[in-house]
Amino acid sequence: MITLLNTTAEYAWALPCFNVLAFILSIFLHRYITKKTIVISLGAIGLSFVWFMLILIDFISGGMDTILVDFDWIRIGDWVITWGFSVDRISIVMLGLITLVSLLVQAYSVEYMSGDSGISWYFGLQSFFVAAMLLLVIADNLLLLYFAWELVGLGSYLLIGFWYDRSSAAEAAKKAFITTRIGDVGLLIGIILLFKATGTFHISSIIHAATNGGIGEGTILLSSLLLFIGAMGKSAQFPLHVWLPDAMEGPTPVSALIHAATMVAAGVYLVSRMMPLFELVPAVLIVISSIGLFTFVFAGSIAMVMTDIKRILAYSTISHLGLMILVLGFGGVAAGLLHLVVHGISKALLFLGAGSVMHGMEEETRCEKMGGLLRKMPFTGVTFLIGALSLSGIVPLSGFFSKDEILVAILGAEVNEYWKITFLIATLGGVLLSSLYMARLYFLVFTGEARSEQADNAHESSLLITGPLVILALIAVLFGALVFPVPLWDGYAGFGDLIHQGHHLHFVIWLTFISLFLAIAGFALGWLMYGNEKISKMWFSKKIPWVYRLLCQKYYVDEVYQWAINRIVLPFARMVAQFDRVIINDTGIDGSGMSVIFSAVKIRVIQTGRLYNYGLGMALGGLLLIIVWWWL
Amino acid sequence: MELIHFQLLAAILFSIGLYGVLARRSAVLILMSIELMLNAVNINIIGYASFGNFSNSFSAFGHVLIVFVITIAAAELALAIAILLRLYRNKSTVNVDEINILKG
Repeated sequence: MITLLNTTAEYAWALPCFNVLAFILSIFLHRYITKKTIVISLGAIGLSFVWFMLILIDFISGGMDTILVDFDWIRIGDWVITWGFSVDRISIVMLGLITLVSLLVQAYSVEYMSGDSGISWYFGLQSFFVAAMLLLVIADNLLLLYFAWELVGLGSYLLIGFWYDRSSAAEAAKKAFITTRIGDVGLLIGIILLFKATGTFHISSIIHAATNGGIGEGTILLSSLLLFIGAMGKSAQFPLHVWLPDAMEGPTPVSALIHAATMVAAGVYLVSRMMPLFELVPAVLIVISSIGLFTFVFAGSIAMVMTDIKRILAYSTISHLGLMILVLGFGGVAAGLLHLVVHGISKALLFLGAGSVMHGMEEETRCEKMGGLLRKMPFTGVTFLIGALSLSGIVPLSGFFSKDEILVAILGAEVNEYWKITFLIATLGGVLLSSLYMARLYFLVFTGEARSEQADNAHESSLLITGPLVILALIAVLFGALVFPVPLWDGYAGFGDLIHQGHHLHFVIWLTFISLFLAIAGFALGWLMYGNEKISKMWFSKKIPWVYRLLCQKYYVDEVYQWAINRIVLPFARMVAQFDRVIINDTGIDGSGMSVIFSAVKIRVIQTGRLYNYGLGMALGGLLLIIVWWWL
Repeated sequence: MELIHFQLLAAILFSIGLYGVLARRSAVLILMSIELMLNAVNINIIGYASFGNFSNSFSAFGHVLIVFVITIAAAELALAIAILLRLYRNKSTVNVDEINILKG
């Protein structure tokens, strides 16, 4: 039941409503007010951002207690499913990230997408996606969360395939949808298992039941694994990562919003949200951290050799999502979420910067055609450098703090020493890799000679594009300060405390030095290789060409999938189709119909239409009756 | 005169009627044969009514029943002949071999 306290935080459910309303309005009105639908969408997201601010103020003044609002949804006898909207420490962070990045991305899109004939559809879809994403993070009900989860997938599908007349975009959209669906099935089964065990969809009730031994050991193990498979699909973890690079076929602001800051964060969010459940089964945590680590290094190494600016960023996104998942596997919710926000902002900045570059270069995305763009696009170049440095983890940008927190969280975890050290070393290797490819990307695009005519003629984008870049860059610089207990509001005790009351982020000096050294070394090596070319950038591909080839082919994962589809899925599907055609259709459906027709053809001849035949029949029948009556 | 005589006569008449219905092709003759069968039944009933071992009231019921049957048979025959006439108008024949539009 709802108790009216007259606070905005109780109306958190209005956030998705604004945006879904904007979506509906722009669908119905775009015929009449084509260009003005942009205003509707922008207004909705702007209002959402203001609304989020009000919620934040309420939330803080309410002592940061979880605010739960329930309405009855489905009522069967005494058994009720409620909607369950909640604002807690995790979702408030997500709400901030989503509303802020969406606002900036939509403002950016006004200029970027101007001139596109489907612009009102584009903005409508943006609103739709944001609505789904906001619903996802305020849902305290797994069923509702699942609906939002699917709607997010749908929004992503539609936005990737926004230029649906390009077959590559249509293919990429399908690939993204189908790949994430594989994970979604796992999520759904996991939710159903939890519901079966507890009889409720409420996350807080499920966690309460689980921590008090109300759910069997096996059920927790299985359902948390299945939930994680769902998270793997959305957060593009190996082996379900293949859709994210292809999703770059969508418009660049979409990549910034969906495939860097929000949708791919959904998996990380889900795991953080259900963390108390995962913590009950250490085996699953090991699986989570292993997959995260593998994805972190695996995708980072691919990012080293990609040449398409957006694909480098896509693999970098996969890699950093792996890092978040990795630290969640060590129970570091605060560190994981900090990195989620930092990465979301930095990567949105980088994607928008890449969009600005493409805008100035007639939609060219190949890095080898770029070069020397810093002079021509100073705003884009500088903000891009800030994003790249932040993600590389160089002090004092926000990425430095989040990466450090992740390392500290791994170090402080209560697991096997050798296991911990292995992970620490591998993560540090990944950090080096990550700053190396960021440096490579930056220096290839923005320094050196212009390597094509477009690069020669490149021009800085207008204020509507550079504005969001500058804002995001400022946040990327300043956000790191939030790690410390700055006097943001009364009682703010750092980001760690915001997520987990009493949890304070801290530094381990030697670890900080190692990671900072590796990050700077990586960036410097990148500069030497791609900036002033003191070291040949070819030595790697010359020395071990087979590794280089392996990386260029993205470890042949797509090929393996194609093989599996061609050799296993399609033959199986053909077999099933054959079964359907022969057994179900021909024998079952047509067969029963044909048997009626066949028997009718045989039997109809006895209907001669001649009176005396019928009369004879009657007489013989009567005779038979008499005989029967007589003899029996 | 005993009951058996009535029964024999009725059986013979009925069989002749049945044969007529099955063997004749003319609808008029079939109608006549049906009348024959009907009257065979009447004879059977009147035989039972007169010689059967029944109480008086049942006996009287048999006689009354016959009067009713004859009356209704006359009405039914009028109807049948009217149908037959319409059939003849439409088909120009009363041969039942040619009237087989109900065949499957």
